[in-house]
Amino acid sequence: MKAIQHGLLLALCVCVSACSPVAPWQRGKLAKPQMALDAYPLQSTFKGHIYGSREAAAGGGAAGGGGCGCY
Amino acid sequence: MVVPLAGVVVAVIKRLLTRTAKSKPAASASLQALTAAALLLPGLMPASAQAAASDEEVSFLYGYYEEGERDLFGVNSRFDPIAVNSLLGSSKVRLSDRLKAAFNYTQDSWSGATPIATAPLSFGGNKEGGVLSGATPYLQNNNVLFDKQLNPVKRDASGAYNQDTQLVHTLSSASPEIRKQGDFKLSYEWDEATLDAGGGISIENDYESRFGNIGGRWDFNQKLTSLNLGLSYTNSDTNALLDHDATPYIYDAGRGIDSYNATSSSGNVQKQNRNTLLSGNRQDWGTALGLTQVLNESALLEAGVGYTRSTGYMANPYKVVQTAFIDPAQTGELLNGVSIGLLEKRPDERNQWTENLRYVQYINGLDAALHFDYRFSHDDWGINAHTFEADWVQPLGQGWTVTPKVRYYSQDAADFYTPYLTSNQALSKTAVDENGRTIYVDAGDPNNGNVYYRDDNFNLVDSSGNPVDETTVNPIRKTIPFDRSKLPSDYSSDHRLSGFGALSGGVTFSKQFAKGVSFEASAEYYTHAGAMQLGGSGEGAYADYDFYTVNGVLKVDLSALSFSGGGHSAHAGHGGHSHHGGHAPAGVMFDHMMDKAGDLMFGARYMRSTQDGTMLQGSNKVSDQAIVRQGCNGDPCFTTPDSMNMNMIMLDLMYAPTDWLTLMLMPQFMDMDMSTRTLSGAPAPTFAQQSLINHHTLHEHTTSGIGDTGVYGMVKLFDKAGHRVHGTLGISAPTGDVDIKFRDTHRLDAGYQHYGMQLGSGTWDFKPSVTYSGKLDKYSWGAQLNGTVRLDHNNETGFAFGDIFQSTAWGSYNLLNWLSTSVRGVYTVQGSLRNQYNGTFHQLGPMDYPGSYGGRYWDVGFGINAFVPSGSLQGNNLSFEWLQPVSDDVNGYQLPRDGALSATWSYAF
Repeated sequence: MKAIQHGLLLALCVCVSACSPVAPWQRGKLAKPQMALDAYPLQSTFKGHIYGSREAAAGGGAAGGGGCGCY
Repeated sequence: MVVPLAGVVVAVIKRLLTRTAKSKPAASASLQALTAAALLLPGLMPASAQAAASDEEVSFLYGYYEEGERDLFGVNSRFDPIAVNSLLGSSKVRLSDRLKAAFNYTQDSWSGATPIATAPLSFGGNKEGGVLSGATPYLQNNNVLFDKQLNPVKRDASGAYNQDTQLVHTLSSASPEIRKQGDFKLSYEWDEATLDAGGGISIENDYESRFGNIGGRWDFNQKLTSLNLGLSYTNSDTNALLDHDATPYIYDAGRGIDSYNATSSSGNVQKQNRNTLLSGNRQDWGTALGLTQVLNESALLEAGVGYTRSTGYMANPYKVVQTAFIDPAQTGELLNGVSIGLLEKRPDERNQWTENLRYVQYINGLDAALHFDYRFSHDDWGINAHTFEADWVQPLGQGWTVTPKVRYYSQDAADFYTPYLTSNQALSKTAVDENGRTIYVDAGDPNNGNVYYRDDNFNLVDSSGNPVDETTVNPIRKTIPFDRSKLPSDYSSDHRLSGFGALSGGVTFSKQFAKGVSFEASAEYYTHAGAMQLGGSGEGAYADYDFYTVNGVLKVDLSALSFSGGGHSAHAGHGGHSHHGGHAPAGVMFDHMMDKAGDLMFGARYMRSTQDGTMLQGSNKVSDQAIVRQGCNGDPCFTTPDSMNMNMIMLDLMYAPTDWLTLMLMPQFMDMDMSTRTLSGAPAPTFAQQSLINHHTLHEHTTSGIGDTGVYGMVKLFDKAGHRVHGTLGISAPTGDVDIKFRDTHRLDAGYQHYGMQLGSGTWDFKPSVTYSGKLDKYSWGAQLNGTVRLDHNNETGFAFGDIFQSTAWGSYNLLNWLSTSVRGVYTVQGSLRNQYNGTFHQLGPMDYPGSYGGRYWDVGFGINAFVPSGSLQGNNLSFEWLQPVSDDVNGYQLPRDGALSATWSYAF
């Protein structure tokens, strides 16, 4: 398990060190809808609630209610 | 049934919108490209490190979740697995240049069976036979057998005792339950920073949580880097009625409750009238820190950490832990135990840390994007969890996008997770004094401090040896319950705390239409297995299960419309259909047509009606005694409705293929709740009747889900000089359930819910109407006749509601160019219910008899209507109407109506 985390951390370092300045006129691809961090936010809310009521891991991020999920 | 119908609805919407797209080919693609280009200009791009999210948007999601059957090892469960219907509505608006607001509404409803405990198969937790065919939960005071090593032992058909370590879940079903959540967020934007604050509330019958959050985003490094910080607080109350069908399984004697309360500092169990109530409070504080970094012109990365601290009652009030008590005094190879269900017990504190990474890579050549997410969650309950998810977002051209997804999740079991418990002590033992004499107490008041003994002749004596008159006390042996301190400090057999892995995969199709409308349809299949836990040994295969979800999303991007300008200029061209003939009050449906071929309208309606007060017979108030004698068709009545509320959310989708025809699709989402009470003067019920009466009257009942779906065609008949007439022909399809049952009680099949609590009519209904509207200066008026004719004699569960005829007329006055008020009168006639349920159904009160449905009603309505004539929200219309009952003349015996509120929002473009 640690190996996975270390691998990801390494990947993160490589990525960040590979950062290159991106001028505003070079950001066309980044602005495409498929590049949004969450392409389907409403679906993510729905699915997040289902995972949250079937799994023990924290949803992460800010509190958004969600109810008991006791079923 | 719901799923295929949802699919049909989805298909119809798709078709409707596809036609729209074809009819307006020119406007969109190039304008959207320009829009996207404009967004790239520095300063216009709201969050430079990620793609532009829409500023002003209204969206709806309908989702369905259904679990597969659990393996009960030879026992056939008659319960359907749990199913959940969800409805989400979301709106985002820009209040000023820098201030944005978002509102969300969520409604979930669920029913069906879930595991409430786990036990060795030999315990016989899912009892087959008895009053009911199929499995019923059976957890209380079972005599169970173990060998010396505490392995469960089962007696086979030949009488031999064999070790049998197979475990199995014990299933129990729940009546329909509903959760509603409303939340909001306000955001203030600077050029390189955003501050937001939000809050909301989530309400269930047994759980309420209130939450608030604040957060901020700071963009720097020429907006290539964003820093996010958030803080949230949630305060939640559990107030769970331990159902009288469940309490026998939960150790529930008076001492049991005292004992639970003595050991649990976070939850409290008490008797309230004849109910057992478990209450508790929990608080959650969460923080999250995230960094979003543009790596290069085609990749970006988000990394975050979060910490959540939870304190208080965090257990699940409906899960029990099967515990076998084995008296250590036993000798021999075979040990006898007694098993009972104990309420689960979790620590009062939990600290969770999460780390997450999201990476998005643009794929040149394919115009696609690869999303990869990883999250690690760790807590002091001993649960480490990993989530991996990969999505491939592939645009296909012509606005279509397909997104396959795969997700893997794995978690360790919580330290205190256990499928079941064994305890090396007797469940209870007889109390003796220091001399070994058996202690007796008075059964009528065992805790009054008086103790008694038997002398050598078995005569009752007090502690001083004086004889006691046995006619004044009812002596029973004093028993001492098991010692809770010999149990673990925390224990739960909730499968969510077990070790397991889960693999899921799915696909989302989305289609972006002209005019900022987009549609998404998605399906996902999920499989949970102990064997799939990362690197290890999860829970046994008995706990494996799977589920699938489907959902559809309809989204209208209001800001795309204002960017493109196409929608608005077209709209201005015809002056806005919505106030063409004045706007009808909110409670009037089918009141207007679209004016021009290609026009689209998107709207939502909400209606709430309530019934409350003294029961009526015809128009007159009636006493309980009269209902008992006459309300149930010659049988005595035991119960009567106390109150009933109905909420309806409808989506309006209108499209005009030609000038003279408007097509309309109207899916509905319903929820209802009803409380009943016992009638005074009712005769003594039988034991079974009393169980059912308690079941009905001790708590409120709810039903919720998709209602019937209407499809309509509106035809222009006359349109001249301020006067218009149009006719509507429509069909209502029976997409709403009519077979919703109560959960079992005392192992009795409690049968169907009351007729009025079903979500649909169950019949195909013909719905014609004719509408006249007129307008002169600031005045407008109208009238409508409409009907509902049931095309079937009975539905799948045996009955049909009565036909409905309604006439209404209204007048309206424009106070301002954007605001009008209205007054209207309504007369409604509805026939009695026809036929009756064809399955198990217990008739306890007038609401269970077909003759107590329908009637003749007069109402007066008062409404206001606001229309946005210009600006970025142009084309939006919001109206409210309160319908005040003036006269009720009901068939049979019914509750009077309190009134009805209608709220309608629509957006035409």
